[in-house]
Amino acid sequence: MSTLNWQGAWEQLINSPYFGLFLTLLSFQLGLKLFTLSKKNPLLHPVLVSVVSICAVLLGLGISFEQYYQGAQLLSFLLGPVIVALAIPLYENLKVLRQYWLAFFVSNVIGGAATILVAVYMTQWFGLSPETTGSMWTKSITTAFAIELAPGLGGIAAVAAAIVMVTGIVGAIVGPTVFRLVGIHNAAAQGTALGVCAHAVGTARALELGSQQGAFAALSMSLMGILCAFLLPFIL
Amino acid sequence: MLKGLITFCGFYLLGDFVSTLFGLPIPGSVMGMLMLFVFLILRGGLPKSLQESSQALLPYLPLFIVPASVGIINYWSLLQAEGLALLFIILVSVVIGLPICGWIMQAMMKERS
Repeated sequence: MSTLNWQGAWEQLINSPYFGLFLTLLSFQLGLKLFTLSKKNPLLHPVLVSVVSICAVLLGLGISFEQYYQGAQLLSFLLGPVIVALAIPLYENLKVLRQYWLAFFVSNVIGGAATILVAVYMTQWFGLSPETTGSMWTKSITTAFAIELAPGLGGIAAVAAAIVMVTGIVGAIVGPTVFRLVGIHNAAAQGTALGVCAHAVGTARALELGSQQGAFAALSMSLMGILCAFLLPFIL
Repeated sequence: MLKGLITFCGFYLLGDFVSTLFGLPIPGSVMGMLMLFVFLILRGGLPKSLQESSQALLPYLPLFIVPASVGIINYWSLLQAEGLALLFIILVSVVIGLPICGWIMQAMMKERS
């Protein structure tokens, strides 16, 4: 019991790959709690809360991203198969389309192209860096897709993830107000617009407006992801 | 749960295989999702095991995107320089995109019914 190796034990702790994993799980749980407590306020989205708190801990303890990612990448590793699992809700929601599939497809393509092109051209007018412009192309698809796609489009996965997150939160916040101002009352139209412009965060918001909104938003989110994945690499 | 995981991993690998085989710049995950989707349509009906494991896994999808998103910590200077412009661009693009998309859907649905 002569000398306790505090220094060594502490370093062992924060250098362990399990530390990144533990920190991620813990901060996400915290994010979920806050999200529920705030009655699902989009500004307190669990991913945002989790990412911000992890960054704060890493900066505070002087841990590099690469060191953190050693353990946390286990979770990224699972992203692939979980994206595949999105085929199930897509299949289940398909029946709501019925006779409206053409309207749905057209509004996705035109609405999606509008929101993406406006954003990309604005980054060019503002003279933002090429990495930012490259990361902007994936702004309207869900983060999981954006992380996989952005590097192939001249973007950066993490920057694309941040842009997607902010897009989703902004869309979820302004969506209902915009619908009221411009006279979009139809449930399917509201859901489709939220899914196209605000992907998964918008889909969560759409579900609060109603189940029909939710189903159309989920379908739009998937269609946008698929369209972007199949078209963007060939256009750019 | 296990059956679902095997299916999802299997279709992921299959998607990756097909993308590489045809030299397509499409992520294996997206290709795998589409193939599973087409498979379900052809099969007609959703196996209970797949439904259960997707219900168990998908609520955690946001958790799986956290680690890659933390990578933003390495781009702090980029955000400082361009963050405000980005926020403005995103707001404008969303406010333009939502009505366009909603109006088209609403108008075309009215025409059909």
